[in-house]
This record gives sequence, C-alpha cells and structure tokens, in this order.
Amino acid sequence: MTLTVLIVGVIYFFWMPNPQEAPYILDRTWGSKGEKPGQFNEPTGIALAGNEVFVSDSRNTRIQVFDLNGNFLRLFGEKGEASGQLNRPMNLTIAGDELYVAEFFNDQIQIYGLDGEFRRSIGKAGSAGGEMSAPGGVAVNADGAVFVADFFNQRVQQLLTDGTFVRQWGITQKPGVLGGKLNYPTDVAINNQGTLYIADGYNDRVLAFSPDGHALYQWGGPLAMNIFGPFNGWFATVTGISVGPGGDVFVADFYNDRVQKFTAAGEFLNAFGIKSNTPTHTAIAVAVASDGSVFVADYANNQIQKWQPGN
Amino acid sequence: MKIITIIFIITALTGSGISSAAGTRYELRVDGLACPFCAYGIEKKFIRTEGVESVDIDLKNGLVIVNTLEGKKFSEDELKTIIDDTGFTMKSMNAIPR
Repeated sequence: MTLTVLIVGVIYFFWMPNPQEAPYILDRTWGSKGEKPGQFNEPTGIALAGNEVFVSDSRNTRIQVFDLNGNFLRLFGEKGEASGQLNRPMNLTIAGDELYVAEFFNDQIQIYGLDGEFRRSIGKAGSAGGEMSAPGGVAVNADGAVFVADFFNQRVQQLLTDGTFVRQWGITQKPGVLGGKLNYPTDVAINNQGTLYIADGYNDRVLAFSPDGHALYQWGGPLAMNIFGPFNGWFATVTGISVGPGGDVFVADFYNDRVQKFTAAGEFLNAFGIKSNTPTHTAIAVAVASDGSVFVADYANNQIQKWQPGN
Repeated sequence: MKIITIIFIITALTGSGISSAAGTRYELRVDGLACPFCAYGIEKKFIRTEGVESVDIDLKNGLVIVNTLEGKKFSEDELKTIIDDTGFTMKSMNAIPR
C-alpha cells in the first residue's frame, strides 16, 4: 500500500505537472465548413508570415490567407497530382519569403511565394533518400536545409535546398519506439539555435536534436515511451509542432483537443484548447505570432482559433 | 410532350441499368479514423489501387467506404492487407453490390 502510494506520488510529481502560467484566453475563431473563401473543408496546417495567416484547407485542395484578425485576403491552389498542384496539403512552414507545403498525397514538398505563385518542389514518391511517402510536415533552418516529416517512411529527412539527401532520423519504414525509431512522424520545427523538434505522432512524444544530430530531450508521458493520456505533459497523437518567439515549443495534441506549451527543454508550461463535440478533434496544427498570439487549425470545427496569453 | 416523357423514362431506365451493373460498395470498419493523418493515408492507398472508383470516410460510424468499378471485387484478405499497409487494422467488412 505504501509502495503504491509512493509510486503514484512519483508519477504525479514527475509526469503530471501544473501550469506555470496564467491560462490562455480565446480571442476569436473564424471559418465554417464549405467551399467559399473563408470557409474550410478540413484545415490541417497553419503558418504565419508577418501579419498574414496561411492555412492548409486540405480537402478543398487550396491554401487560404487571412490577416491576424481572420479577415480573408486571398487563396491559391489547383487540384491535381502534378508538381505545383495540391491534393492534400498538411503542415506548413514559412522560410523567408516562401511558403513550404507538405503535400501528403503528392509525396513532395511544394514551395510557393507568399503571393501564391508556385516556385518549385522537392521530392518524389518512394523510400530512397530524398524520396517521400506522405510528408506531413516541413521545417527549414537558417542555412536553408529542409527537414521533412516523412510519415509513411517512419523517418525525418534532412535535405539540401535542392532536395539532395543529407541524413535521417528514424529507420525507413520501420515504426517503433526504441532504437532510434519513429512512429509515424507528423511534423517538425526548428528553433533559432538550430534545434530540431520532431512531432513523433503515434509515439505520443516530442524528440529534440542538436544541430549536429544528437539527441537532446524527449518528452510526452512517463519516459516518453508511447504512453498516452490526458494529463499535463502527456499526449494523445501529436500532429503539429511550432516554436514561439521566445523559443517555447507549442504542440498540437490532437486527441486531447488542445495545444500544450513547453520550454525549449520540454518543461510543461501551459495547455489550452476547445473540447470537440464531433467524432473528430480540434487542435491539429499550431503557429505562434511574434506578439505571442497562438493560432490553431481546428480540424473538427473547420475553423481557426486565435488565443492570447493570459495576464 | 409524350415523346419527351418516353425518352426521359427510357434514359432513366438505361441509366439505372448501368448503375446496377456497377461495382461493389465495401464498408470497412477501422478504428482511429478521427485523425486525418490516418484517414488520408487509407484514402490515398485505396485511390491508387486499381479498380477503385471512390473512397469516403464516415467518421461518425468509423467506416471506410470503398466503391469499386464494374467487375472489380476485393477479397477480405486483400482489403485487410491494404489497411495493414497504412498502419491500421480492419475490424470487419461488409460488401454490398451497387
């Protein structure tokens, strides 16, 4: 009995941390289900460039752009399987004046100008270095290196700007939780120091690696060993990840309908979200503005959530 | 007017004749469809499988609905293999001639 109490106490102390900040406040939402400008059919990715919000409107096979208050600005994208055509866009990232789109069905990363003009793509279907099988997310470091969450290949690839393979994390097409394996990675993010964060989707954890590729941190439930749950610091399928202006890490915790916020080293800070009233879930992707506002792609409700830090 | 009506009826009947000769509707019960990464993976796999006309996801009932082209049939093992390849397990299936 005493041992049980001790174990529960240890678990509670180490793996159910309390929030370290005031609660986030829901500022506004916008969007509804549909095909018109400003409506969505399954938003799955989000990224910010200055005062503009880019959203993957996945089943409508397009990217929509809004201002920070949710006013519609423009949209682009043409349905198809060719390079420069969209079929199922997922997580997004902005690098310089370019938008990087992980194209899940077309097995490539597509790169657009912020005005929507298609510029180039990297990757093609396959499992060799530089090839992809359903990329879910993408990040770009200060040197222009491209990191791809290569979902069905069970790896994250680092590529040169032209798509040339450099190295990978995970073992190709072998999902797992030990031995350097990943389990359906969904997204990646890079901070100012070049630390790579991997949303290790079905392992319910986040992994962090130094710029030279060495493991730094991992977190998500007890020992980050694919133990999912609803508690603070635990996940239930990680589908998106983003680094805030102060270096904090924001994680879309899909089946828990929330975003969780951590320090760069994985210490739990906060959690917020909207509970789903549908068979699916709300928080699939997250992006953070320079003023700390957090934008969430709300898959279940076909809308965007905008949150402000509490006082 | 009568001729137009007759033509309309014949066209409708011909159309329904084609429809009844179409393929099969497979309703596959799969857990975990709420996550689009999972659902899209299954959709993608079926769309690229020969003989598949369309794929729909019924989230409310946890079903993958696969409509095949005329003459195309899948065995249960074939469907299980396709679902397995996407990292999921098919719990049950129901085949309905269209």
